[in-house]
Amino acid sequence: MPTTTTTAATTGSNILHRLTSADRDVKLKALRELKNQIIGNRTKKLSFLKLGAVPTVASILSDAVSTDAVVDNNNDNINKNIIVQSAAVLGSFACGFEAGVKAVLDAGAFPKLSRLLSYHDEKVVDAGARSLKMIYQSKLAPKYDFLLEKNMEFLLSLLNNENENVSGLGASIISHSCKTSVEQKLLSDAGVLRKLTSLLGGSLSQRDASLESLATIFKSNPEVVVKFVGNESERALSCIIDLVKDRFARTRLLASLCLIIVRNTSPCYLQDLAIKTKLINTLLELLGDPGQVGDEASFAFSSLIAQKEDMQKLAFEVNAIDKLYNHLKGGSLHPLRFEGILLALADMCSKLECCRSRFLSLQVLNLVIDALAHDSSDVRIAACICLRSVSRSIKNLSAGSFMNETVVIPLVRLLDDSSTSVQVSALGAISNIVVDFTTRRSLFIRCGGVKQLVQLSKSMDSTIRSNALWALRNLMFLAENKCKEGIFLELTASLLASLICDPEPIVQEQALALVRNLVDGCISSVEYMFAEDGIIFDAVGRQLRSASKAEIGIQGMYVLSNVATGKESHKEAVMNQLLPTENRTQPYLINFLQSNDSRLRTATVWAVVNLTCSSSPGASVRVVKLRDAGIVSQIKNMVNDPCLDVKLRVRTALGQLMTFEDSST
Amino acid sequence: MSLFWIVIRQLAEIEAMATSKKVITREEWEKKLNDVKIRKEDMNKLVMNFLVTEGYVEAAEKFRMESGTEPDIDLATITDRMAVKKAVQCGNVEDAIEKVNDLNPEILDTNPQLFFHLQQQRLIELIRNGKVEEALEFAQEELAPRGEENQTFLEELERTVALLAFEDVSNCPVGDLLDISQRLKTASEVNAAILTSQSHEKDPKLPSLLKMLIWAQNQLDEKAAYPRINNLSTAALEDPAV
Repeated sequence: MPTTTTTAATTGSNILHRLTSADRDVKLKALRELKNQIIGNRTKKLSFLKLGAVPTVASILSDAVSTDAVVDNNNDNINKNIIVQSAAVLGSFACGFEAGVKAVLDAGAFPKLSRLLSYHDEKVVDAGARSLKMIYQSKLAPKYDFLLEKNMEFLLSLLNNENENVSGLGASIISHSCKTSVEQKLLSDAGVLRKLTSLLGGSLSQRDASLESLATIFKSNPEVVVKFVGNESERALSCIIDLVKDRFARTRLLASLCLIIVRNTSPCYLQDLAIKTKLINTLLELLGDPGQVGDEASFAFSSLIAQKEDMQKLAFEVNAIDKLYNHLKGGSLHPLRFEGILLALADMCSKLECCRSRFLSLQVLNLVIDALAHDSSDVRIAACICLRSVSRSIKNLSAGSFMNETVVIPLVRLLDDSSTSVQVSALGAISNIVVDFTTRRSLFIRCGGVKQLVQLSKSMDSTIRSNALWALRNLMFLAENKCKEGIFLELTASLLASLICDPEPIVQEQALALVRNLVDGCISSVEYMFAEDGIIFDAVGRQLRSASKAEIGIQGMYVLSNVATGKESHKEAVMNQLLPTENRTQPYLINFLQSNDSRLRTATVWAVVNLTCSSSPGASVRVVKLRDAGIVSQIKNMVNDPCLDVKLRVRTALGQLMTFEDSST
Repeated sequence: MSLFWIVIRQLAEIEAMATSKKVITREEWEKKLNDVKIRKEDMNKLVMNFLVTEGYVEAAEKFRMESGTEPDIDLATITDRMAVKKAVQCGNVEDAIEKVNDLNPEILDTNPQLFFHLQQQRLIELIRNGKVEEALEFAQEELAPRGEENQTFLEELERTVALLAFEDVSNCPVGDLLDISQRLKTASEVNAAILTSQSHEKDPKLPSLLKMLIWAQNQLDEKAAYPRINNLSTAALEDPAV
């Protein structure tokens, strides 16, 4: 509509023109008009921003403040009004609008607004404090340095101020700028906790601001939490607990968040069943809030239950899965809310089978599958994480609940996503769903999944490489021969060998684990190791000799263990790899057996067990070689290994070794 | 709150006494009620709370002088709030918006739903006054961007613009938007938002107490026959039907 735009633009430049008028009444009227245009209206904020309104208003504020200082005329009402209105305009530009915050800061308005705090006129102070508060809600606000003594004094004076906007500003500064444990401790020592606690009894905005700051000061700092909960007073904590029942939704959310941070920082507090249930119920109920509170509630819920089986159990008992599902079911959710609910479901299903069963019986899966194709990448990521969490269910994996076209096709499609994070999380979900259902792997291959995974294993991004290998590794797990062959042909021996020697240890580990699954099972699969002149086998040997971390040794040793279950020639190849004749230095086998990592000791003893299996003809010769290399005596030293797993394998190995000892003497 | 608990305690006592439905005569009832002590100051505070929340500023001022009850809010702010409410009720929405912004610019900047409803009311008023051109322009320029941000707003906007499609708006499916009740609804939403920003409850306490009374009586009805209050405005005890 050309007419509309013209009118809007004309009104816009008209207001701007009048702002520069020499007539102060005209100027004041224009300021108010501008304020009423932009408040609550993002579109208008943007268009006035583009017209350059912010620097104009900032200079009006600056001039008015200087005039006030020079004239020192308390009766100059117009000037006071100009100050109030221009501060309000700047505050509104900064409210919930990052570009606006940037413009206000760039225009140098920040120090001018700060000066308003020392005025006697309450209206001026209010306007200044409100606008600064808006700026401090943004990440762009300048960091407040608590380490400077005069800054700390100023902060305390703000917190002690009777004016609720000023004390609220003090709290906002803390929420924005307090980041390190040193700052947390400094604030705590300066008596800020006590001050904030007293604000909990104040007005709505003071209460909310104080809850937010308290949470900031507590976060991951057990020392401060102990000081607050332990020494200061039980009363302060119970005051926050009461606020979880407050009339206002935002206050309930902030109080819950504050308690969650106390719990997560110092797990010894707030373990009472009543409080735990109260928090769960409050957050589930807040999901129903139509505004920002509802958007944030699911994230708070996640932080309450994540990694905590007891909390997930409790939440399950109050039907959390059903409640989360009901919000999803409504459809047309704001992306942030959608993402939050999916992540909350993911956390709910991360440990407990009962949650996963409920999830699947409610058909939540269909909604999650739809979310895989959502416009927002954050929602797509959350859907993948959710899928990964639910597909930890062995029962349902075996039943093939996830290996069907409705799940696999959209997931494989995400492997092509433009966002790396989406690709990585899709790989995470795929890694789980390809596990353990021999009959349906072909579907995944038919959908082009293997081609995609192989492609991604050549990615420039090491996280993608390792996750793609992880998925292939799981796909290879207990797979039938035909399936293995298909994957191997796609991968090729040379690619596998180069991935085993990848510069990144996490990639090396996954590549070795993949090979371990490849050669697991029947003898014919062991042959893969020796394709193309044994480049894979040589690569494994190279990595074992220079293993940079235990995990690589573990996977490598299992590869050799599996190869050692093969024919005589395979066993001999492993022997040559482990104890090369030309090398006189201590074999890495000894180092592995002496490792602190019991998993590595187990894997190594396994290899020895498979090499010395008495039924094979060359075993006695191998035992002699192993004895000469000091391996047998090392294993004898391990009969009382603290790890049961190791001990068991050591006994088996010794039992086999003894049969040869007996016959040779 | 105390009145509520007294009633509850009485309920509990009655429950303990009778397994079948018990009859309580007016005499016994009045005797019981006489034992209940209500502080005068509490009554006054409830009245003041009602006057303040409902915005009867002059009555509140007089009541303060006569009863010595201090309001929990600066009475001057009531005048401002009432002016906003009245402006919406009269259809001067633009004026109301300006007044709210003067009172506290944060209210509309942080409450998108209220802001949308005020803008929607502005649109309704334009349509009511037959300013079709202006209404269309306003809907496009001011309201359409809000609809893009929020699905619910979009639906409400569509419903409102539908008013333009009907010849006889009084008889169309969305005609209720032109009703005076729509103005009252918007007015009370603004009123509540201002009260919340002043950390004041948005509803007076007196109606809640009366609601609790009715609820308690309904509970009691299952256990006993007693002199009931049926007419809240006279609060007369009516003899139990035996």
